[in-house]
Amino acid sequence: MEIISNILMPVTDLKLLFLVAAGTFAGIYVGAIPGLSVTMAVSILISFTFSWDVYPALALMIGIYMGGVYGGSRTAILLNIPGAPSAIATAMDGFPLAQQGKAGEAIGIVTVVSFIGGFIGILALALFAPSLSDFAIRFQPRDFMLLAIMGILLVGSLSGESLIKGVFSGALGIAIGAVGMDPLTVQDRFVFGIDELRGGVSFVAVMIGMFGVAEALAQLHTVNTPAVKQKVSGIIPSWAKVRKCLPLGLQTSTIGTVVGALPGTGGDIAALMAYDYAKRVTPKPETPFGKGAIEGLVAPETANNSAVGGAFIPMMTLGIPGDAVTAIMIGALFIHGLNPGPMLMVEQPHMFWFIVGALMLANIFMLIFGLTGIRLFVKIVELPRTVLLPVILVLSIVGAYAVNNSVTDVYWMLGFGVFGYFMREYGYPLGPVILGVILSRLLDDNWRRAIISEQESFLGLMRGIVTSPLSLVLFATVCLIILSNTPLWRMIRRQKEA
Amino acid sequence: MQTTPARRPGELIFNLFLFLFSLFLFWSAYGISGFEALSSPGAVPMATSATMIYSAGAILWEVFRKPQGSAETLTGNIVPQSIVVTIVMVALYALLLQPLGFIPTSILFLMVMIRYLSRRGWGFCIGVSVGTVALIYLIFRLIFTVLMPQGIVPEGEILAWFGNLF
Repeated sequence: MEIISNILMPVTDLKLLFLVAAGTFAGIYVGAIPGLSVTMAVSILISFTFSWDVYPALALMIGIYMGGVYGGSRTAILLNIPGAPSAIATAMDGFPLAQQGKAGEAIGIVTVVSFIGGFIGILALALFAPSLSDFAIRFQPRDFMLLAIMGILLVGSLSGESLIKGVFSGALGIAIGAVGMDPLTVQDRFVFGIDELRGGVSFVAVMIGMFGVAEALAQLHTVNTPAVKQKVSGIIPSWAKVRKCLPLGLQTSTIGTVVGALPGTGGDIAALMAYDYAKRVTPKPETPFGKGAIEGLVAPETANNSAVGGAFIPMMTLGIPGDAVTAIMIGALFIHGLNPGPMLMVEQPHMFWFIVGALMLANIFMLIFGLTGIRLFVKIVELPRTVLLPVILVLSIVGAYAVNNSVTDVYWMLGFGVFGYFMREYGYPLGPVILGVILSRLLDDNWRRAIISEQESFLGLMRGIVTSPLSLVLFATVCLIILSNTPLWRMIRRQKEA
Repeated sequence: MQTTPARRPGELIFNLFLFLFSLFLFWSAYGISGFEALSSPGAVPMATSATMIYSAGAILWEVFRKPQGSAETLTGNIVPQSIVVTIVMVALYALLLQPLGFIPTSILFLMVMIRYLSRRGWGFCIGVSVGTVALIYLIFRLIFTVLMPQGIVPEGEILAWFGNLF
């Protein structure tokens, strides 16, 4: 009974209800506007909610988080600019659909499957949080390292046309992520004697440069072609269409929840893995992947939304953030005198159930706002590109500047934008660069921990992998991804098909 | 039979740059801690830059073997005038952001860019620029409290004056 009253607390308290609704609404737009990230919005929120009571502060932040993860898909579909890293995969099939005049249909299906994914993630949080913590706690550094390698290798599969270009992009991303002082030894890496590089390159500047500026520059080629009038009819998808998406959606929601629950991995990796999974299990989609396949929308959007619930699992049970936003939320809980971790579940279970209730409510608001506010939102793309492109550039500049209040970040953004533009022109995928930057730290830290724990013995590390069932499964998955991208594998498949 | 796609203008130079850049990164990564230990701070940077050298080398070889395409030109298809103007304008924006401030720099940038790209009248360009900057200012500065450079505009005084009106 007490659990139910705690879950219903955000519904019964009007103030909390309003804050969750306002947060979700704002989150959708924050997630959608290129250059504004959920991480940034939640960080800023901490600065003016720390004097609030913990419940209203959490209600607002949870709303922004939930809305923001979904909101990223909108600009991915309408402008081919993912509002958040978790929407990178969504752009691959969402934008082609918008170009075909099916933006309304794409956003409608994305909204419904995001709700389904979000619901499954929250359900998993409520049902499995205590028991899953036992599983996640057994992860060794070598497992995290394998997980990071797995994520990077997936980019090869995602880059489509040229695996080698995908690998180069991913490696470049890792190198960018390594710039700055080494956190363990405080030794400079790729700093080249420039003091400003000691703190590293702002990830937001890289992301805005690669996806905001490079995209805007590329669109200049077609600036004078009239803007596509996006059809927004048929927003609410038919039950038959939703039912068709359900089997894949349920599978990719499970992937999203599990990946989200792994500490350090979030919706971005979950979405890319789910997209890759969808490509593998749907060999003959109605529309090919990359050209507007509905499966290419269902998989990443169910996964990144279910990863929200998943990300709260290690945060609430272990005190380890599932992703960047939950890391900031841990900071917010500390500010409010709470200590997330196993003891929080024991001493203050009401806090856990309140979070479950707020997440569920935010998910419902996301569905309502998502299905009702599309027409207004879509008007953005009906603006002539000659106006829209300069505005995107200003938003990108503001976003890059706002990270550290530094003009240097604007120069970085421009540099990466120009570089990203040339990469695009010559067929290099940009998604892997961002993925590499995200995974750089995870890979580096855990490689070093793993090899130190084996007394610098590579053979010892391999022995550890082979003798641990969990590591072995991860290692086998890595090998399978490599193998499935080799010409030999393609030749065998072609022979099988013939 | 699959036909080999033609090499685009500047593609060889760009890929050569990436290859040389990867070599430079490897040399820099080696300088961090050499082959001291597998757990050294330079281990992952070295492995990463080695991967870059291998992949950039393979791509460079592939591009080198492609036939040169004749349908495209560097200034016509890869770096047309609009791209150069936009890059210069963004660089100027960044340069003037601190001394002039966010509001005048953004209005100027939008005005010039919209005029250049759309060839519409100055009235339209000024109206859209001022309206857009007002909206961005409202969202970023007033709602998200993002600090933007004030420059020559006495924002504090103006906001205080508005505050006194209510």
